Amino acid sequence: MKTIQTEVPEQLFKKAQMLVKEGWFRDEKDIFSEAIRRFLDTHRPDLMEKFIREDVEWGLRGKD
Amino acid sequence: MWNGAYVEKIKSAITLVCDAGPAIHLDELECLNLIKDFKEVLFPNTVWEEINRHRPSALKNADLPFVQLPGKTPYSEPLLTLCKIFSLDAGEIEALALMEQRPQAMFLTDDAAARLVAIQMGFNVHGTIGILVRSIRQGQKSPEEVLDILKNIPFKTSLYIRHSLLQEIQLKIKSEFNL
Repeated sequence: MKTIQTEVPEQLFKKAQMLVKEGWFRDEKDIFSEAIRRFLDTHRPDLMEKFIREDVEWGLRGKD
Repeated sequence: MWNGAYVEKIKSAITLVCDAGPAIHLDELECLNLIKDFKEVLFPNTVWEEINRHRPSALKNADLPFVQLPGKTPYSEPLLTLCKIFSLDAGEIEALALMEQRPQAMFLTDDAAARLVAIQMGFNVHGTIGILVRSIRQGQKSPEEVLDILKNIPFKTSLYIRHSLLQEIQLKIKSEFNL
């Protein structure tokens, strides 16, 4: 595991603390790891490239 | 094929629902006027505030058909679920809620997750690059001008695109217009 130090908005951290307090996650670290994993899942380079290529095609040949 | 004609086409009948990214990126490129031909450009309140915080100049152009929509737009349970699954932020959720109210509109976003949700919901969705390339088809910019703009993306904008992909796009435009 890699340890990183970062700043998060106060309100975001409070929400994370609340989830832990309610028993949905073991600790705040779990939440931030899960958040990063989800972000990386939906921001895969191949996906972003696909969207940009589709945009170029639409730009060139779209009807709207 | 580009024949040198440089005449702006008639106004589009399409309403644009805009996320913060494309408005900021187009303004950074001094190309925000490329969405001028849309019928109207709607910004949910949260998106408007986000742009105002990061790039206030983008909202100052009085010639653009920008509309700030105050208040919350109601959204369906399936949309909210998808937004939560993809961890979308408040602005993206509001923009997609607006799209749900106006399914004939076009959603403009540069966020891959927001775009995935839009596709799942069956919405018409594009991004900054699409608008730039479309400007040739719409007679707003020449292919040469668009090539220049694309070249400047890494230096003038906060839009990150892999260098080789940007080159690939430029080659595609050159080949398309015999440049």
